[in-house]
Amino acid sequence: MSKLSILAAKTSFSLLSLIGRGGSLPGTIALKVDPQSLNKLKFRGPVILVTGTNGKTSTANMISSLFEKAGKKVVSNRKGDNLKAGITAALLQNAKGDGTIDADVVVLEVDELNIRHILPFLPVSMLVVNNFFRDQLDRAREMEQLIESIENVLPEFKGTLVLNGNDPNTVRLALKAPKAKALYFGLDKNQYSFQESKEASEGKFCPRCNTKLEYDYYQYSHIGRFHCPNCGFETPKLDVQLDAIDLNRQTFHYGGHKFQGPYEGMYSMYNYAAVLTAAQKYNLPLSAFEKMLKDAPHPAGRNERFEKGSKEVVLNLVKNPTGANEVMKVIERDGTRKAVVIVLNDREQDGTDVSWIYDTQFEKFMNPQTIGVICSGTRAGDMALRMYYGNYAGDLSVEPGIEAAVHQALDKSDTVYVVATYTALLPSRKAIKKELNV
Amino acid sequence: MIVKCAWMYHDIMDLYGDKGNIMTLTKRAKERGIEFQVTTVGIGQQADLSDFDLVFMGGGADKEQAVLIPDLLSRKENIQKALDENTFFLLICGGYQLFGQYYETADHEKIEGLKFADYYTATGKAKSRCIGNIIIDARLDDQTLRLVGFENHGGQTQNVAHPLGKVVHGYGNSFDAGYEGYYDGHILGTYLHGPLLPKNGQLADFILTKAIQKRNPDFTFDKLASIDQPWEEIARKALLDRWKLQDKPEIS
Repeated sequence: MSKLSILAAKTSFSLLSLIGRGGSLPGTIALKVDPQSLNKLKFRGPVILVTGTNGKTSTANMISSLFEKAGKKVVSNRKGDNLKAGITAALLQNAKGDGTIDADVVVLEVDELNIRHILPFLPVSMLVVNNFFRDQLDRAREMEQLIESIENVLPEFKGTLVLNGNDPNTVRLALKAPKAKALYFGLDKNQYSFQESKEASEGKFCPRCNTKLEYDYYQYSHIGRFHCPNCGFETPKLDVQLDAIDLNRQTFHYGGHKFQGPYEGMYSMYNYAAVLTAAQKYNLPLSAFEKMLKDAPHPAGRNERFEKGSKEVVLNLVKNPTGANEVMKVIERDGTRKAVVIVLNDREQDGTDVSWIYDTQFEKFMNPQTIGVICSGTRAGDMALRMYYGNYAGDLSVEPGIEAAVHQALDKSDTVYVVATYTALLPSRKAIKKELNV
Repeated sequence: MIVKCAWMYHDIMDLYGDKGNIMTLTKRAKERGIEFQVTTVGIGQQADLSDFDLVFMGGGADKEQAVLIPDLLSRKENIQKALDENTFFLLICGGYQLFGQYYETADHEKIEGLKFADYYTATGKAKSRCIGNIIIDARLDDQTLRLVGFENHGGQTQNVAHPLGKVVHGYGNSFDAGYEGYYDGHILGTYLHGPLLPKNGQLADFILTKAIQKRNPDFTFDKLASIDQPWEEIARKALLDRWKLQDKPEIS
């Protein structure tokens, strides 16, 4: 066993903590000392990986918290990044001298393109896949190549696949995993389901025979009940299915119980369903699930609310058309008079290609209740053009400074929605807090 | 006045917000009191393309793109008829590649093209793609325009007899090509996404003019009233400033 790499990582941890750093650097050092660091580790309980385009962070966090509520000791990469070095760092930090990870359960959020670097090297018990959407395509390449990179490491996988049964892009993974057991989660048809999808969608064709897929109904984007009219590839029988969805109250039914979750939007319902599938597989009680929901921290930039007197600002992160479309629906559902600030940056972490704004239905809030839209960020002009060509009829302006943009919006209206890309999120929050003085 | 536009395979070739081009043409026509009528044409759908003033086709993912090839090839004669009758073709990325001799997918599969031009598209080195913001100086009949956009293609297009323009920043038809796109008076093919037209309003108007000329041969570019909106200049400047470039072409 390579004690050296574990030692190296641990030493660098203590050194780095002295100088106030940490993160993935110890992992990078360990992998330099021994590239095989990962497959020399020992585990005494299940190893769960969570991946997908949208919702992997909240799903992985909920699964970690679920096990903790059930009294288990969990090791996760909650605080680190989701690439190989960050994952290695998180594991080695919790490794004993003989390479055993000191935990009952290991839960790791893994970047989609890093599954191939992680899955073959750890004794993975469960792989949870939420969905696949266009996500910053200039970095992630075309989605097909991304899915194939995961399929390529599945033939020998003997654990459990937990897949979104309403996403053909995730259901197809089971076709490449003959030795694995597949469990499916999804939602029943509900009041929000619709017949025609106008949102940017992936996977329009059957992965088995390339015929165009047909949908009985959509829940959002390309997520819904689908079937191939040619070969029969379809939404499988669901092992976990949520009913009685109420997006306003954020409630749903499962197993005869009603639950209320902390997160908004249809996509969050799928995350709950994924977590419940893990709970079912490992026989964790629904009471632990309920406790987990109750104590879940509200994630930053997901409908984060700031209030002062009669003023209210709601901050949302957008990173791709599908996530953004769900945010648009949240803004649309709020019928009050409002101003909207959109901060569009095009730095590396945002994605340098901003064309996704044309796949996002900003039209959802282009109505008389939206009295003003202020565009900010490094690509504010592109955002204003998007609103202009989308026929927004209200007051449109460009304000490069985020603080000034928030200030202007609050002058116009008591209710302000701020929509920000990744690198704009923290500056936006700072600006909101400063303007509201909270 | 009416401009009839066929939007080919709108449900497949819709990567990178290419629908923004249709939004731009529609709005800029409407601002001038011109009705811009869009008809979507999907696989297996009957349509006489020579009936349209403008045909638009965007780009798609390799796998999805492969699905439409037989349908597209079956329309070859009809497309020739449309070209002969002065229908204008605007093609982005995958659409551009498919009008050439052939294109090679990332898996080195050779896909037959429509062969309306001599260019062909070879696959690049594994895992190398031309990605990033791109600025070109384009020559379109009697005018020159500085165009800004975003390119994202693995395919390396070679043997382009009449490029659309000279690359000022970015890659173009291939790594180190120096030139971008294709233009022959009837077909405008380019790798520029972004989408292309919202930030290049003059090009949008040029395309509208070409489309209008099918039914009104005497119509000229200067008959389109100017559009008053400040956003385009701001959006272009944000990019041009990064490379200290002026908002005017260097070729004349």
